[in-house]
Amino acid sequence: MFEFQVIINGLLLGGLYALMAIGMSLIWGVTNVINLAHGALIMLGAYTTFWLFKLLNIDPFVSLAISFTTLFVFGFLVQKYIINFVIRAKMFITLLLTFGLDILITNVAQTAWTSNFRQTSPAYSANGFSFGFITVPYVRLSAFIISIILVFALYIFLKKTKTGQAIRAVSQDIDAARLMGINVAKTFALTFAIGSGLAGVAGSMIGVLMPITPQMGGIFTLKSFVVALVGGLGTIFGPLVGGLFLGLAETLGSFHLGAKYADIIVFGILVLTLIVKPTGILGKNDE
Amino acid sequence: MRKIVAVFVMFLVVGSVALLSSCAPKQKTPSVIKFGAAVSLTGKYAREGKFYKDGYLLWEKKVNDSGGIKVNGKSYKVKVIIYDDESNPAKSQKLYEKLVTEDKVNFLLGPYSSGITIPDSSIAEKYKIPMIEGGGASGKIFSRGYKYIFGTLPAAGNYFKNTIEMLHMMTYSSNNSNKVTKVAIVHSDSAFDNAVANGAAHWVKAFGLRLTGVQEYPSGSNDLSSILTTIKKNNPDVILVAGHTHDALLFIRQAKENKVNAKLMAFTVGVQAVDFREALGKDADYMVGVTPWLPSMNFKGEVFGTAAEFAKTFKDAYGYSPDYHAASAVADALTFQHAIAKAGSLDPKKVRDAIASLDVQTMYGEIKFQANGQIAKGQAVIQVQNGKAYPVFPKQIAQKKLLYPAPSWDKR
Repeated sequence: MFEFQVIINGLLLGGLYALMAIGMSLIWGVTNVINLAHGALIMLGAYTTFWLFKLLNIDPFVSLAISFTTLFVFGFLVQKYIINFVIRAKMFITLLLTFGLDILITNVAQTAWTSNFRQTSPAYSANGFSFGFITVPYVRLSAFIISIILVFALYIFLKKTKTGQAIRAVSQDIDAARLMGINVAKTFALTFAIGSGLAGVAGSMIGVLMPITPQMGGIFTLKSFVVALVGGLGTIFGPLVGGLFLGLAETLGSFHLGAKYADIIVFGILVLTLIVKPTGILGKNDE
Repeated sequence: MRKIVAVFVMFLVVGSVALLSSCAPKQKTPSVIKFGAAVSLTGKYAREGKFYKDGYLLWEKKVNDSGGIKVNGKSYKVKVIIYDDESNPAKSQKLYEKLVTEDKVNFLLGPYSSGITIPDSSIAEKYKIPMIEGGGASGKIFSRGYKYIFGTLPAAGNYFKNTIEMLHMMTYSSNNSNKVTKVAIVHSDSAFDNAVANGAAHWVKAFGLRLTGVQEYPSGSNDLSSILTTIKKNNPDVILVAGHTHDALLFIRQAKENKVNAKLMAFTVGVQAVDFREALGKDADYMVGVTPWLPSMNFKGEVFGTAAEFAKTFKDAYGYSPDYHAASAVADALTFQHAIAKAGSLDPKKVRDAIASLDVQTMYGEIKFQANGQIAKGQAVIQVQNGKAYPVFPKQIAQKKLLYPAPSWDKR
């Protein structure tokens, strides 16, 4: 019976991981930029919702739209005016740049808001459904549902809308897309903006579940990286599958083997994936 | 031609200025005692590192404003040089080496966290320069036979001793309704928390209580749900958590989410800090913590007055209330101040010996060290009641009675 609770916890955690990873996976798959500042963007989303709740009493779920928009704009500007300069350079250069951005954003946040712990705590924050011995916290369930909605929304956006198709075209062949009249630079900026907005939404939810500090992002960049890779880079449902898989592995592994093995399990799966199927669970094999 | 004249004149001017300045009477530089420290101003310990920097600098200002330290009738100003070790042990060690070899400091003040203090203290021992630290409680710091490291935090292994003794007294007293039989321990994998957990496990058994289990988790983990599920399965009365503030916050939030209703939850760090209580709001009530110092405790010293007066001075300077980390940092500096005065010398060995035999009352309480270098004083057990932290044990310093058992989450 406790097993069942662990599985539920794992799925909910997985949903959270998926939510975190969608943004990074999108940017990585389309622009080939591994955004090492992803965690910092999540952190900014968490603070956005926190301050809106603390100062203006805006409910965290309502603030999701604001968080998305704020990070969307931020991401757009960062890509257009900073990352764009090195977009065609070797991957190492973009890694270096986003790494530097991560340090910059983290330290600016620390100077502005101090490292004191914060938490977004609406009245319902730790409440949940109870079925006998099983509990399902509201906020985690909502984050799970939101991540599924966002993945499907992204799917429809990329497959059915013209802008979405432009993004996919650019991810397949930059020069051919340009020949077709697509503004590549603007598409890249848009992709980064969407990815950042999604990170913001993830951060907003995380801020209700976990303590908020300027340094919180590091582990999320790492986990998002693993989820994106394991799920399948460049695929839309990859982060969802990868996130759920990893969430379950982590909680089941912690419960049966001991929590101290949690990290070993997560990174063990990463290594195994790279060896056995480098393109990830849903990834298509390269020709 | 004009160019040559211009250059010649320039040389003349520069040369005469140089000549004149070298003839000027030598400025009398005030004698300065230099202290050096590397603390974590960035990285995962940035929040706590700041407390140490603020503490050290507050002391520096206080001493200098009061005329400095007198050694053999001569007044010395103090200067504290602080570097950022970025929460990285290897970097911290290099910085301490730099402080000794390049900055040529007289004495060393400690960093934050046991994991960083362990390598740093080796530098103090290597160069035989006394270091007093207030950020590392692990026994590993003091079990190497080092003579030049002293610590003002009570030993990690004893962090929960008074808490467990309190539970023992409740259980074996005549009033049986407050029995505590089962205790669970949860700890992070850091050096400090391992030491706390090992000590706690020992004390649980020594005081006749039953240990349901000891669970370890990776430091900084973002999910403790499996640990809580196991706890729910074992149903202990009391949970002791040894982890840093971030983990404590996460644990409480997830305990509430998973409806883990322990009768008492105790934490090594966090409970005594204002931001911790603010982040949790009402969820902080009933939580138990340990601290060697609170502003409300009955301590008094020459330099800063009472604990409460010190807290006010600190708050006026920095805009936030100090917790025991900052007080511990200032205690380190105060120890040096008293030891230097006692030794009547700046010789490292003499000061070291003075520290070892020191016994003085300060705003931090009694500063007296055991043979291994760790301070002799113990932890007070505190509990959050209505958003404020009060000492509840030992009896001599208790200001409120422990509220036990804590009501279940849905009844709060």
